[in-house]
Amino acid sequence: MKYDVVVVGAGPAGLAAAYKLASAGFKVLVLERGREPGAKELYGGRIYAYWLDRFLPEFRKDAPVDRWVRKERVTLLTENKALTVESAVLEKERSSFVVPLVSFVSWMAKLAQNTGAKIVTEVTVDALVRDEKGRFVGVQSGSDMVQADFIIDAEGVNRLLLERAGIVKKLEPHYVAVGVKEVLKFENKKVLEERLGLDEDEGLAWAIAGYPTEYLPGGGFIYTYKDSLALGVVVYLKNWEKLRTPVYDLVERLRLHPYIASLVKGATLQEYGGHMTPVAGINMAPPRFYYDGLLIAGDAAGFLLHTGVLIRGVDFAIASGVLAAEAIKEAKSPSAEDLSVYEKKLRTSFILPQLEKFRGADKLLGDEALFKDLAVFSTEAAYRYFNIDDEHRTLLEAAREASKKTGISILKIMINMLRAVRSL
Amino acid sequence: MSLKYFTIEERLNANAWDVDVHRPHIKIKDPERCKKCEKKPCTYMCPAKCYVQQGDYIVLSTEACVECGTCRVVCPHGNIEWNYPRSGMGIWYRFT
Repeated sequence: MKYDVVVVGAGPAGLAAAYKLASAGFKVLVLERGREPGAKELYGGRIYAYWLDRFLPEFRKDAPVDRWVRKERVTLLTENKALTVESAVLEKERSSFVVPLVSFVSWMAKLAQNTGAKIVTEVTVDALVRDEKGRFVGVQSGSDMVQADFIIDAEGVNRLLLERAGIVKKLEPHYVAVGVKEVLKFENKKVLEERLGLDEDEGLAWAIAGYPTEYLPGGGFIYTYKDSLALGVVVYLKNWEKLRTPVYDLVERLRLHPYIASLVKGATLQEYGGHMTPVAGINMAPPRFYYDGLLIAGDAAGFLLHTGVLIRGVDFAIASGVLAAEAIKEAKSPSAEDLSVYEKKLRTSFILPQLEKFRGADKLLGDEALFKDLAVFSTEAAYRYFNIDDEHRTLLEAAREASKKTGISILKIMINMLRAVRSL
Repeated sequence: MSLKYFTIEERLNANAWDVDVHRPHIKIKDPERCKKCEKKPCTYMCPAKCYVQQGDYIVLSTEACVECGTCRVVCPHGNIEWNYPRSGMGIWYRFT
């Protein structure tokens, strides 16, 4: 059996590539190890629409969308205090949306199938196969081998196949974070809307720093689906030695925090999961994105932009899949030389420029003192400002008192704020 | 506000999966090595509590594994052999 293109992984990157290639008349096979596309995927909960309009405009027509995000909330949280900032858009904004990834990916799978791509599930690819000259010529699953002129590796963050092929080294703890997530279902969508103060198709994206990770790098999140919400915590693997709560209890710990508990009371647990996410962006990219017969897309390539509050994986994955498809369409042969057009496309698109722009974000976000100081100091200063006793404090007085109480210098906070506003 | 705490076992029960009892997708390469491992990060970094310390040893049960891959990355001794489960086995996410 020989195909023009074999895609490993029916995720956003792989399916975008399969769809575009099948539309152009290529004979495409997608191999997926899960029971259905999306069965092995887990993300926070939000997809940014801007670049989808350029790379997969079909989504506006009939892709599933639970809620359009019109409220962005950021909270600094400690054991007994919280400081929240909210940015709301009151018009019918449609620039990012919340939907279960499995629903979105299932829509993408149908799109690809309707153009003739073949998707086979429950097949685990064990290795990328090379010929005697080292060119990638197929994939192997158990004792079966499928040959193809082109292979797209969209296997996801663990990238075992790339590691086995000797393209990348084993993942290092500082490249990735682990996210754990509960999907909590409300009695009906009205209950969720009333609890969170949302209009009918309005969505909330909420980032919570400090308490969720015991003040270590990472943070908590909430995204609102139709009648359920995603509650999760992401923690950097490189800090494992300092974590006192086991990862398997981190989300429960956040769910039971008084600031959150009142919102999710009565909601039932629909699903619990964990997944790794790239945090090093361009710093964890493979040496190249193209080889003889092979292109790398999505999380496996490190194409995820993470700037603390804004996390973009799906739009990067889809765009990289589309560019991989375009590169294959343009390449005269599967040689690395001809496929190098993929890297050019990544460079002239938003993908590499934006990852390069935020190259320093990883280092700052991984700074242990940053979030701890900010959460502890800011919540204390706000508390002192709003609390009237013998004194009625100015903001500066409140900040000075907070500094004295917490032992965190105002200067240090200001320096860190300056670093943050510049590189995040 | 007091809500009930759900143990990890209760939470994992909400999930759907197919267990590959015949061929676990994760193996500890050398159990003796875990004995000498001082901090045993696998026992508290695994989101599904697949790794439990019993005496000096680590007992690994892969049934409820959510396939994140964290254990392999945090093991300080590279002592974990980790594969994607074969043909459709393992976790089946439906709502995330």
